Amino acid sequence: MPGWPAHRAERKWCPRMLENAGSRLKAWLVAGIGTAAAIAAAGVMGAFGARHEPMPVLAPASRIETGQWLLRPLKAYSADGENLYGVPLKPGAKALVVELEMTNRTAKSTKDYFDVLQANQATIDPATKPFIALTRDSTLSPELHPGMPEKMAYIWQLPDGATLPAKLELTVVRKTYKQRDNLYGLPGWFNPAPVGRLTLPVGRGPDTADIQP
Amino acid sequence: MMRKLANIVLLLAAVSLCYGLQASKPRYGDLIGPIPARGNLGDTVVGRGFEVRAETVEFARNLKVDRFGDSKVLTTGGIWAVVTVEFAARAQSTTVAVASWRGRTGLTYDQTERLSFADGLLPVAVDPGLPKKARLIFELRADEVSDATLLVSEKLMSALDSQAEISLGPVAIGPDGLPPGTVDTLDMTQPI
Repeated sequence: MPGWPAHRAERKWCPRMLENAGSRLKAWLVAGIGTAAAIAAAGVMGAFGARHEPMPVLAPASRIETGQWLLRPLKAYSADGENLYGVPLKPGAKALVVELEMTNRTAKSTKDYFDVLQANQATIDPATKPFIALTRDSTLSPELHPGMPEKMAYIWQLPDGATLPAKLELTVVRKTYKQRDNLYGLPGWFNPAPVGRLTLPVGRGPDTADIQP
Repeated sequence: MMRKLANIVLLLAAVSLCYGLQASKPRYGDLIGPIPARGNLGDTVVGRGFEVRAETVEFARNLKVDRFGDSKVLTTGGIWAVVTVEFAARAQSTTVAVASWRGRTGLTYDQTERLSFADGLLPVAVDPGLPKKARLIFELRADEVSDATLLVSEKLMSALDSQAEISLGPVAIGPDGLPPGTVDTLDMTQPI
């Protein structure tokens, strides 16, 4: 099959060819502008901002807002499993405890706080879910009510023989409110995303002093 | 030219019509939401499967409860509200499980989960012809006590089912920020 330039060279010039070339150019231009517009639109909508930014470091003595919750870290300590807010730990097990004040910022009572703190510690298996207790009367994972700050304790059981760390690194996770979810069209909190990294010094025993008054 | 223009106008009209429909139609959540049965404190509010009458509302700083034989005082960062209600089933036995307190500003406080062991709390099984009293206990901010609405339903997702909405009326607030009738400790071990 002959290549197209040779094929074309056989043709005699006629005004229609120019018209053809013009429409071809137009098509290229339209396609080019369309692509550029699409890339620009994607850029404006943040498609290129989704690369991994380094996670912000959160000050321990600060208030951290996570959408649903306002957190005020109080202290982190390691302790024996006995009399630890009535939490059912294995006998003789040690635990890492983070105490913090949590305020429900939403308009409804909720207990959607299981994923707010995630321990990055090598000593804590990521699959270990913490027990979460109300320090006021050791109720396990109660609903917290709008606008009422409560002290809560996150308690991770440590594996046997684990070394007690001097520092506990946590990732704080927020969620975003959607007026209508994509499945049912009902309001809710979705899309967990990290707010930042929080590093707390780990004291020994429940008498550790609070980080902030 | 005219034809093109007419097409564009038609397209715009269709777009605005579709947008109008999308914006004005009720949402799925509204369509399948609970069906309110309204009343005031002291009225018998009749729902599809149950009737409820809110008798009294009491406020307290602390609650005294019995837990496994020990007496225990439950404190709160806000105020306890205890609503004594009487339930009755209509045609068949049912269970009333969910109650919330909706304050004037729309903040919704679910029943507390801190007394799960005490008697006379929801869920309550009720049978026709055998009315039963129960206590609904809420932990509230003191500024949410006035002009509140009590919401009672049989189950959590009461889609297309009745929800009793009982207006509790205004509550005076004393100089200490609490209602004047607030008692220091309310004894939950007493029979209702």
